[in-house]
Amino acid sequence: MVLSFFDQFMSPSYLGIPLMALALILPWTLYPKPTSQWISNRVLTLQGWFINRFTQQLMLPLGRKGHKWALLLTSLMIFLITLNMLGLLPYTFTPTTQLSLNMGFAVPLWLATVLIGMRNQPTIALGHLLPEGTPTPLIPVLIIIETISLFIRPIALGVRLTANLTAGHLLIQLIATAAFVLAPLMPTVALLTATLLLLLTLLEVAVAMIQAYVFVLLLSLYLQENV
Amino acid sequence: MLSRLVFVSANALKGSGPLGAGLVQASRSLHTSSQNLAPVPPLPEKGGKVRHGIFPEELFQLLYPKTGVTGPYMLGTGLLIYMLSKEIYVINHETFAALSIGSVIVYGVKKFGPSVAAFADKLNEEKVAKAQEVKDAALASLTQAVEQEKKEQWRAEGRTLLFDAKKNNVAMLLETNYRERLHMVTNEVKRRLDYQIALQDLHRRMEQEHMINWVEKSVIGSITPQQEKESIAKCISDLKVLAKSTKATV
Repeated sequence: MVLSFFDQFMSPSYLGIPLMALALILPWTLYPKPTSQWISNRVLTLQGWFINRFTQQLMLPLGRKGHKWALLLTSLMIFLITLNMLGLLPYTFTPTTQLSLNMGFAVPLWLATVLIGMRNQPTIALGHLLPEGTPTPLIPVLIIIETISLFIRPIALGVRLTANLTAGHLLIQLIATAAFVLAPLMPTVALLTATLLLLLTLLEVAVAMIQAYVFVLLLSLYLQENV
Repeated sequence: MLSRLVFVSANALKGSGPLGAGLVQASRSLHTSSQNLAPVPPLPEKGGKVRHGIFPEELFQLLYPKTGVTGPYMLGTGLLIYMLSKEIYVINHETFAALSIGSVIVYGVKKFGPSVAAFADKLNEEKVAKAQEVKDAALASLTQAVEQEKKEQWRAEGRTLLFDAKKNNVAMLLETNYRERLHMVTNEVKRRLDYQIALQDLHRRMEQEHMINWVEKSVIGSITPQQEKESIAKCISDLKVLAKSTKATV
Protein backbone atom coordinates (compact mmCIF):
# COMPACT_ATOMS: atom_id res chain seq x y z
CA MET A 1 0.00 0.00 0.00
CA VAL A 2 1.95 2.95 -1.21
CA LEU A 3 0.06 6.04 -0.38
CA SER A 4 0.47 9.42 -1.87
CA PHE A 5 -0.68 12.38 0.09
CA PHE A 6 -3.81 12.92 -1.91
CA ASP A 7 -5.12 9.39 -2.03
CA GLN A 8 -7.22 10.02 1.00
CA PHE A 9 -9.12 12.72 -0.82
CA MET A 10 -9.97 10.64 -3.84
CA SER A 11 -13.57 9.56 -4.07
CA PRO A 12 -13.51 5.95 -2.93
CA SER A 13 -14.30 3.19 -5.37
CA TYR A 14 -13.70 -0.55 -5.43
CA LEU A 15 -13.29 -2.36 -8.69
CA GLY A 16 -14.97 0.55 -10.37
CA ILE A 17 -17.97 0.62 -7.98
CA PRO A 18 -18.21 3.99 -6.30
CA LEU A 19 -18.40 3.66 -2.55
CA MET A 20 -19.40 7.23 -1.78
CA ALA A 21 -22.93 6.17 -0.85
CA LEU A 22 -21.50 3.71 1.67
CA ALA A 23 -19.31 6.40 3.17
CA LEU A 24 -22.28 8.74 3.50
CA ILE A 25 -24.59 6.14 5.03
CA LEU A 26 -22.08 5.05 7.66
CA PRO A 27 -22.92 7.73 10.27
CA TRP A 28 -26.58 6.69 10.21
CA THR A 29 -25.65 3.18 11.31
CA LEU A 30 -23.78 4.44 14.35
CA TYR A 31 -26.70 6.04 16.13
CA PRO A 32 -29.22 3.65 17.74
CA LYS A 33 -32.88 4.22 17.14
CA PRO A 34 -34.87 5.34 20.19
CA THR A 35 -36.90 2.47 21.62
CA SER A 36 -40.42 2.67 22.89
CA GLN A 37 -39.19 1.63 26.32
CA TRP A 38 -39.36 4.34 28.90
CA ILE A 39 -35.85 4.07 30.34
CA SER A 40 -33.25 3.36 27.67
CA ASN A 41 -29.60 2.46 27.92
CA ARG A 42 -26.80 4.96 28.43
CA VAL A 43 -26.05 5.53 24.75
CA LEU A 44 -29.65 6.35 23.90
CA THR A 45 -30.04 8.55 26.97
CA LEU A 46 -26.95 10.55 26.10
CA GLN A 47 -27.95 10.79 22.45
CA GLY A 48 -31.39 12.05 23.36
CA TRP A 49 -30.01 14.52 25.86
CA PHE A 50 -27.48 15.90 23.40
CA ILE A 51 -29.99 16.29 20.60
CA ASN A 52 -32.48 17.99 22.90
CA ARG A 53 -29.95 20.45 24.29
CA PHE A 54 -28.48 21.25 20.90
CA THR A 55 -31.84 21.84 19.24
CA GLN A 56 -32.98 23.99 22.14
CA GLN A 57 -29.83 26.10 21.96
CA LEU A 58 -30.02 26.45 18.20
CA MET A 59 -33.70 27.35 18.10
CA LEU A 60 -33.52 29.97 20.87
CA PRO A 61 -32.89 33.00 18.63
CA LEU A 62 -35.29 31.80 15.95
CA GLY A 63 -38.98 32.47 16.24
CA ARG A 64 -41.78 30.01 15.80
CA LYS A 65 -41.41 30.09 12.05
CA GLY A 66 -37.78 29.05 12.28
CA HIS A 67 -38.64 26.00 14.35
CA LYS A 68 -39.58 24.22 11.16
CA TRP A 69 -35.88 23.98 10.45
CA ALA A 70 -35.07 22.20 13.71
CA LEU A 71 -34.98 18.69 12.26
CA LEU A 72 -32.92 19.74 9.25
CA LEU A 73 -30.32 21.69 11.19
CA THR A 74 -29.88 19.20 14.02
CA SER A 75 -29.57 16.23 11.70
CA LEU A 76 -27.12 18.20 9.56
CA MET A 77 -25.06 18.93 12.65
CA ILE A 78 -24.99 15.30 13.78
CA PHE A 79 -24.13 14.19 10.25
CA LEU A 80 -21.27 16.64 9.82
CA ILE A 81 -19.82 16.02 13.24
CA THR A 82 -19.86 12.27 12.73
CA LEU A 83 -18.30 12.50 9.27
CA ASN A 84 -15.57 14.79 10.55
CA MET A 85 -14.76 12.69 13.60
CA LEU A 86 -14.79 9.44 11.68
CA GLY A 87 -12.41 10.97 9.17
CA LEU A 88 -9.75 11.29 11.84
CA LEU A 89 -9.39 7.52 12.05
CA PRO A 90 -6.60 6.11 9.91
CA TYR A 91 -7.25 4.92 6.37
CA THR A 92 -10.69 6.49 6.30
CA PHE A 93 -12.24 8.68 3.70
CA THR A 94 -13.81 11.93 4.87
CA PRO A 95 -16.66 12.95 2.58
CA THR A 96 -16.59 16.49 3.92
CA THR A 97 -13.22 17.07 2.31
CA GLN A 98 -15.00 17.02 -1.03
CA LEU A 99 -16.02 20.49 -2.16
CA SER A 100 -18.91 19.00 -4.07
CA LEU A 101 -20.51 17.64 -0.89
CA ASN A 102 -20.06 20.83 1.07
CA MET A 103 -21.35 23.02 -1.72
CA GLY A 104 -24.21 20.57 -2.06
CA PHE A 105 -25.11 21.35 1.54
CA ALA A 106 -24.33 25.06 1.54
CA VAL A 107 -25.91 26.37 -1.68
CA PRO A 108 -29.41 24.86 -1.39
CA LEU A 109 -29.76 25.69 2.29
CA TRP A 110 -28.47 29.24 1.88
CA LEU A 111 -30.69 29.76 -1.17
CA ALA A 112 -33.63 28.46 0.83
CA THR A 113 -33.06 31.06 3.53
CA VAL A 114 -32.77 33.85 0.95
CA LEU A 115 -35.91 32.77 -0.89
CA ILE A 116 -37.86 32.46 2.36
CA GLY A 117 -36.81 35.98 3.28
CA MET A 118 -37.67 37.38 -0.16
CA ARG A 119 -41.02 35.67 -0.24
CA ASN A 120 -42.33 36.35 3.25
CA GLN A 121 -40.80 39.70 4.15
CA PRO A 122 -39.13 41.15 1.05
CA THR A 123 -38.71 44.63 2.51
CA ILE A 124 -36.87 43.42 5.59
CA ALA A 125 -34.78 40.98 3.58
CA LEU A 126 -33.71 43.68 1.17
CA GLY A 127 -33.22 46.01 4.10
CA HIS A 128 -30.43 43.78 5.36
CA LEU A 129 -28.41 44.97 2.40
CA LEU A 130 -27.96 48.36 4.06
CA PRO A 131 -26.57 48.43 7.60
CA GLU A 132 -28.03 51.00 9.95
CA GLY A 133 -26.41 54.37 10.33
CA THR A 134 -24.40 54.54 7.11
CA PRO A 135 -23.61 57.99 5.86
CA THR A 136 -25.66 58.92 2.79
CA PRO A 137 -22.85 59.21 0.19
CA LEU A 138 -21.71 55.68 0.97
CA ILE A 139 -25.10 54.05 0.37
CA PRO A 140 -24.68 52.93 -3.27
CA VAL A 141 -21.26 51.46 -2.68
CA LEU A 142 -22.42 49.72 0.45
CA ILE A 143 -25.40 48.14 -1.29
CA ILE A 144 -23.07 46.66 -3.88
CA ILE A 145 -20.71 45.43 -1.20
CA GLU A 146 -23.50 43.87 0.84
CA THR A 147 -24.91 42.14 -2.25
CA ILE A 148 -21.53 40.68 -3.02
CA SER A 149 -21.20 39.53 0.57
CA LEU A 150 -24.64 37.96 0.36
CA PHE A 151 -23.70 35.95 -2.69
CA ILE A 152 -20.35 34.94 -1.30
CA ARG A 153 -22.01 33.29 1.72
CA PRO A 154 -22.65 29.85 0.21
CA ILE A 155 -19.19 29.73 -1.30
CA ALA A 156 -17.72 30.74 2.03
CA LEU A 157 -19.74 28.12 3.89
CA GLY A 158 -18.71 25.32 1.58
CA VAL A 159 -15.11 26.28 1.14
CA ARG A 160 -14.62 26.94 4.85
CA LEU A 161 -15.58 23.40 5.76
CA THR A 162 -13.66 21.85 2.87
CA ALA A 163 -10.51 23.87 3.43
CA ASN A 164 -10.41 23.31 7.17
CA LEU A 165 -10.79 19.59 6.95
CA THR A 166 -8.56 19.12 3.94
CA ALA A 167 -5.83 21.24 5.49
CA GLY A 168 -6.09 19.37 8.75
CA HIS A 169 -5.89 15.99 7.13
CA LEU A 170 -2.99 17.03 4.95
CA LEU A 171 -1.12 18.38 7.95
CA ILE A 172 -1.61 15.14 9.81
CA GLN A 173 -0.33 13.24 6.81
CA LEU A 174 2.72 15.45 6.40
CA ILE A 175 3.75 15.47 10.02
CA ALA A 176 3.15 11.75 10.35
CA THR A 177 5.32 11.23 7.27
CA ALA A 178 7.99 13.42 8.81
CA ALA A 179 7.91 11.41 12.01
CA PHE A 180 7.93 8.16 10.06
CA VAL A 181 10.88 9.17 7.92
CA LEU A 182 12.86 10.59 10.81
CA ALA A 183 12.27 7.63 13.12
CA PRO A 184 15.22 5.50 11.97
CA LEU A 185 17.46 8.52 11.34
CA MET A 186 17.05 10.89 14.27
CA PRO A 187 14.86 9.27 16.94
CA THR A 188 14.74 12.29 19.24
CA VAL A 189 13.59 14.62 16.48
CA ALA A 190 11.11 11.95 15.50
CA LEU A 191 9.84 11.92 19.07
CA LEU A 192 9.38 15.66 18.98
CA THR A 193 7.55 15.34 15.70
CA ALA A 194 5.39 12.64 17.21
CA THR A 195 4.50 14.98 20.05
CA LEU A 196 3.63 17.63 17.51
CA LEU A 197 1.46 15.07 15.77
CA LEU A 198 -0.33 14.32 19.03
CA LEU A 199 -1.09 17.98 19.59
CA LEU A 200 -2.19 18.36 16.01
CA THR A 201 -4.52 15.42 16.41
CA LEU A 202 -6.09 17.08 19.40
CA LEU A 203 -6.48 20.25 17.38
CA GLU A 204 -8.03 18.32 14.55
CA VAL A 205 -10.57 16.75 16.87
CA ALA A 206 -11.52 20.21 18.05
CA VAL A 207 -11.60 21.58 14.50
CA ALA A 208 -13.79 18.73 13.35
CA MET A 209 -16.42 19.52 15.95
CA ILE A 210 -16.13 23.28 15.65
CA GLN A 211 -16.37 23.37 11.86
CA ALA A 212 -19.52 21.34 11.84
CA TYR A 213 -21.01 23.57 14.51
CA VAL A 214 -20.00 26.74 12.68
CA PHE A 215 -21.59 25.52 9.46
CA VAL A 216 -24.90 24.90 11.16
CA LEU A 217 -24.69 28.03 13.28
CA LEU A 218 -24.13 30.26 10.26
CA LEU A 219 -27.06 28.68 8.49
CA SER A 220 -29.23 29.35 11.51
CA LEU A 221 -28.02 32.95 11.54
CA TYR A 222 -28.91 33.40 7.88
CA LEU A 223 -32.28 31.90 8.71
CA GLN A 224 -32.73 34.26 11.63
CA GLU A 225 -32.25 37.21 9.33
CA ASN A 226 -34.80 36.01 6.87
CA VAL A 227 -37.44 33.98 8.64
CA MET B 1 -24.16 -8.05 18.99
CA LEU B 2 -25.11 -10.84 16.69
CA SER B 3 -21.56 -12.11 16.53
CA ARG B 4 -21.69 -12.90 20.22
CA LEU B 5 -25.02 -14.65 19.82
CA VAL B 6 -23.40 -16.78 17.17
CA PHE B 7 -20.45 -17.59 19.41
CA VAL B 8 -22.58 -18.49 22.39
CA SER B 9 -24.93 -20.73 20.48
CA ALA B 10 -22.03 -22.17 18.54
CA ASN B 11 -20.58 -23.18 21.89
CA ALA B 12 -23.73 -25.04 22.68
CA LEU B 13 -23.69 -27.00 19.45
CA LYS B 14 -21.50 -30.01 19.63
CA GLY B 15 -19.43 -30.67 16.60
CA SER B 16 -19.75 -27.16 15.35
CA GLY B 17 -17.45 -26.68 12.48
CA PRO B 18 -17.44 -23.99 9.86
CA LEU B 19 -21.17 -24.55 9.39
CA GLY B 20 -21.97 -23.92 13.07
CA ALA B 21 -23.23 -20.40 12.59
CA GLY B 22 -25.34 -21.34 9.62
CA LEU B 23 -26.88 -24.29 11.47
CA VAL B 24 -27.83 -22.03 14.37
CA GLN B 25 -29.65 -19.59 12.13
CA ALA B 26 -31.32 -22.36 10.15
CA SER B 27 -32.74 -24.07 13.21
CA ARG B 28 -34.59 -20.96 14.40
CA SER B 29 -38.30 -21.59 13.90
CA LEU B 30 -40.16 -19.20 11.74
CA HIS B 31 -43.29 -17.68 13.31
CA THR B 32 -44.61 -20.95 14.69
CA SER B 33 -46.44 -19.34 17.62
CA SER B 34 -48.09 -15.98 18.12
CA GLN B 35 -45.64 -13.41 19.37
CA ASN B 36 -45.57 -12.84 23.08
CA LEU B 37 -45.56 -9.07 23.39
CA ALA B 38 -46.01 -8.73 27.13
CA PRO B 39 -44.30 -8.84 29.48
CA VAL B 40 -41.55 -7.27 27.40
CA PRO B 41 -38.22 -8.93 28.17
CA PRO B 42 -36.09 -6.56 30.19
CA LEU B 43 -33.15 -4.77 28.58
CA PRO B 44 -29.76 -5.88 29.85
CA GLU B 45 -28.49 -3.33 32.34
CA LYS B 46 -24.90 -3.24 31.24
CA GLY B 47 -23.39 -3.87 27.84
CA GLY B 48 -21.55 -7.04 27.00
CA LYS B 49 -18.32 -7.60 28.88
CA VAL B 50 -15.21 -6.69 26.92
CA ARG B 51 -11.55 -7.03 27.61
CA HIS B 52 -9.16 -4.25 26.61
CA GLY B 53 -12.03 -2.20 25.36
CA ILE B 54 -12.77 -4.03 22.15
CA PHE B 55 -12.44 -7.81 22.50
CA PRO B 56 -15.62 -9.48 23.78
CA GLU B 57 -15.24 -11.74 26.77
CA GLU B 58 -16.93 -14.56 24.87
CA LEU B 59 -13.88 -14.91 22.63
CA PHE B 60 -11.74 -15.66 25.66
CA GLN B 61 -14.31 -18.10 26.97
CA LEU B 62 -14.45 -19.76 23.56
CA LEU B 63 -10.73 -20.34 23.41
CA TYR B 64 -10.22 -21.20 27.07
CA PRO B 65 -10.91 -24.98 26.91
CA LYS B 66 -8.44 -25.52 24.11
CA THR B 67 -5.69 -22.99 24.71
CA GLY B 68 -6.07 -21.84 28.28
CA VAL B 69 -5.68 -18.29 29.50
CA THR B 70 -2.96 -17.11 27.10
CA GLY B 71 -4.69 -18.51 24.01
CA PRO B 72 -6.36 -15.36 22.70
CA TYR B 73 -3.28 -13.28 23.40
CA MET B 74 -1.13 -15.68 21.42
CA LEU B 75 -3.69 -15.56 18.66
CA GLY B 76 -3.59 -11.78 18.60
CA THR B 77 0.17 -11.55 18.68
CA GLY B 78 0.48 -14.16 16.01
CA LEU B 79 -1.97 -12.41 13.75
CA LEU B 80 -0.21 -9.09 14.22
CA ILE B 81 3.22 -10.50 13.54
CA TYR B 82 1.91 -12.38 10.51
CA MET B 83 0.40 -9.27 9.03
CA LEU B 84 3.54 -7.24 9.68
CA SER B 85 6.02 -9.75 8.44
CA LYS B 86 4.14 -10.60 5.28
CA GLU B 87 3.59 -6.89 4.75
CA ILE B 88 -0.13 -7.41 4.52
CA TYR B 89 -0.19 -4.39 6.79
CA VAL B 90 2.52 -1.95 5.75
CA ILE B 91 3.92 0.45 8.31
CA ASN B 92 3.77 3.90 6.85
CA HIS B 93 2.94 7.41 7.94
CA GLU B 94 -0.65 6.42 8.59
CA THR B 95 0.59 4.14 11.34
CA PHE B 96 1.91 7.11 13.24
CA ALA B 97 -1.32 8.98 12.64
CA ALA B 98 -3.22 5.90 13.82
CA LEU B 99 -1.08 5.72 16.96
CA SER B 100 -1.69 9.34 17.81
CA ILE B 101 -5.46 9.27 17.25
CA GLY B 102 -5.61 5.93 19.05
CA SER B 103 -3.87 7.33 22.08
CA VAL B 104 -6.20 10.36 22.07
CA ILE B 105 -9.23 8.08 21.95
CA VAL B 106 -7.97 5.77 24.67
CA TYR B 107 -7.07 8.70 26.90
CA GLY B 108 -10.47 10.28 26.33
CA VAL B 109 -12.36 7.09 27.13
CA LYS B 110 -10.31 6.32 30.21
CA LYS B 111 -10.52 9.84 31.60
CA PHE B 112 -14.07 10.85 30.74
CA GLY B 113 -15.77 7.47 30.43
CA PRO B 114 -16.89 7.00 34.05
CA SER B 115 -18.12 10.57 34.43
CA VAL B 116 -20.11 10.41 31.18
CA ALA B 117 -21.60 7.09 32.24
CA ALA B 118 -22.46 8.54 35.63
CA PHE B 119 -24.11 11.51 33.90
CA ALA B 120 -26.22 9.22 31.72
CA ASP B 121 -27.19 7.22 34.79
CA LYS B 122 -28.09 10.41 36.60
CA LEU B 123 -30.40 11.46 33.76
CA ASN B 124 -32.21 8.15 33.96
CA GLU B 125 -32.30 8.28 37.76
CA GLU B 126 -33.92 11.70 37.65
CA LYS B 127 -36.55 10.42 35.26
CA VAL B 128 -37.32 7.48 37.55
CA ALA B 129 -37.24 9.72 40.62
CA LYS B 130 -39.79 12.08 39.10
CA ALA B 131 -42.17 9.24 38.37
CA GLN B 132 -41.55 7.76 41.81
CA GLU B 133 -42.34 11.12 43.36
CA VAL B 134 -45.66 11.26 41.56
CA LYS B 135 -46.41 7.72 42.69
CA ASP B 136 -45.45 8.48 46.30
CA ALA B 137 -47.51 11.63 46.35
CA ALA B 138 -50.50 9.72 45.02
CA LEU B 139 -49.98 7.00 47.63
CA ALA B 140 -49.67 9.53 50.45
CA SER B 141 -52.80 11.39 49.42
CA LEU B 142 -54.72 8.14 49.15
CA THR B 143 -53.66 6.88 52.61
CA GLN B 144 -54.61 10.25 54.02
CA ALA B 145 -57.98 9.98 52.33
CA VAL B 146 -58.45 6.51 53.88
CA GLU B 147 -57.64 7.84 57.35
CA GLN B 148 -60.00 10.72 56.96
CA GLU B 149 -62.70 8.33 55.83
CA LYS B 150 -62.18 6.25 58.96
CA LYS B 151 -62.44 9.35 61.09
CA GLU B 152 -65.65 10.29 59.35
CA GLN B 153 -67.03 6.86 60.09
CA TRP B 154 -66.17 7.24 63.78
CA ARG B 155 -67.84 10.61 63.73
CA ALA B 156 -70.92 9.08 62.16
CA GLU B 157 -71.13 6.60 65.05
CA GLY B 158 -70.94 9.40 67.52
CA ARG B 159 -73.77 11.22 65.83
CA THR B 160 -76.43 9.12 67.62
CA LEU B 161 -75.19 10.42 70.96
CA LEU B 162 -75.40 13.89 69.53
CA PHE B 163 -78.96 13.30 68.42
CA ASP B 164 -79.97 12.05 71.88
CA ALA B 165 -78.42 15.05 73.53
CA LYS B 166 -80.20 17.33 71.11
CA LYS B 167 -83.49 15.58 71.70
CA ASN B 168 -83.05 15.98 75.43
CA ASN B 169 -82.25 19.59 74.92
CA VAL B 170 -85.33 20.19 72.87
CA ALA B 171 -87.50 18.33 75.35
CA MET B 172 -86.15 20.44 78.17
CA LEU B 173 -86.78 23.58 76.23
CA LEU B 174 -90.34 22.55 75.57
CA GLU B 175 -90.87 21.64 79.20
CA THR B 176 -89.45 24.93 80.33
CA ASN B 177 -91.64 26.76 77.90
CA TYR B 178 -94.69 24.91 79.05
CA ARG B 179 -93.95 25.61 82.68
CA GLU B 180 -93.42 29.25 81.96
CA ARG B 181 -96.71 29.53 80.21
CA LEU B 182 -98.44 27.67 82.98
CA HIS B 183 -96.97 30.06 85.46
CA MET B 184 -98.06 32.94 83.34
CA VAL B 185 -101.54 31.60 83.10
CA THR B 186 -101.85 31.13 86.86
CA ASN B 187 -100.55 34.60 87.40
CA GLU B 188 -103.05 36.08 85.05
CA VAL B 189 -105.88 34.16 86.60
CA LYS B 190 -104.78 35.23 90.06
CA ARG B 191 -104.68 38.81 88.93
CA ARG B 192 -108.16 38.63 87.59
CA LEU B 193 -109.41 37.05 90.80
CA ASP B 194 -107.52 39.60 92.91
CA TYR B 195 -109.20 42.27 90.90
CA GLN B 196 -112.57 40.86 91.64
CA ILE B 197 -111.75 40.58 95.32
CA ALA B 198 -110.47 44.11 95.42
CA LEU B 199 -113.57 45.22 93.66
CA GLN B 200 -115.78 43.52 96.22
CA ASP B 201 -113.74 44.95 99.06
CA LEU B 202 -114.10 48.34 97.59
CA HIS B 203 -117.81 47.83 97.28
CA ARG B 204 -118.17 46.78 100.90
CA ARG B 205 -115.98 49.57 102.15
CA MET B 206 -117.86 52.10 100.23
CA GLU B 207 -121.12 50.73 101.50
CA GLN B 208 -119.75 50.80 105.04
CA GLU B 209 -118.51 54.33 104.72
CA HIS B 210 -121.68 55.45 103.17
CA MET B 211 -123.69 53.81 105.88
CA ILE B 212 -121.52 55.32 108.64
CA ASN B 213 -121.81 58.71 107.04
CA TRP B 214 -125.54 58.36 106.81
CA VAL B 215 -125.82 57.17 110.33
CA GLU B 216 -123.66 59.97 111.58
CA LYS B 217 -125.55 62.48 109.59
CA SER B 218 -128.86 61.25 110.77
CA VAL B 219 -127.67 61.14 114.36
CA ILE B 220 -126.23 64.57 114.18
CA GLY B 221 -129.39 65.73 112.47
CA SER B 222 -131.51 64.17 115.11
CA ILE B 223 -129.81 65.96 117.90
CA THR B 224 -132.20 68.87 118.64
CA PRO B 225 -130.88 72.12 120.14
CA GLN B 226 -132.72 71.40 123.40
CA GLN B 227 -131.02 68.12 123.81
CA GLU B 228 -127.73 69.73 123.01
CA LYS B 229 -128.10 72.31 125.77
CA GLU B 230 -129.13 69.64 128.26
CA SER B 231 -126.20 67.45 127.45
CA ILE B 232 -123.78 70.32 127.73
CA ALA B 233 -125.24 71.34 131.17
CA LYS B 234 -124.97 67.73 132.28
CA CYS B 235 -121.39 67.60 131.14
CA ILE B 236 -120.53 70.74 133.06
CA SER B 237 -122.10 69.48 136.30
CA ASP B 238 -120.30 66.17 135.89
CA LEU B 239 -117.09 67.99 135.44
CA LYS B 240 -117.65 70.07 138.55
CA VAL B 241 -118.28 66.95 140.59
CA LEU B 242 -115.17 65.38 139.17
CA ALA B 243 -113.19 68.48 139.92
CA LYS B 244 -114.32 68.45 143.51
CA SER B 245 -113.46 64.77 143.92
CA THR B 246 -110.09 65.31 142.41
CA LYS B 247 -109.28 68.28 144.50
CA ALA B 248 -110.21 66.21 147.49
CA THR B 249 -107.87 63.39 146.66
CA VAL B 250 -104.95 65.79 146.02
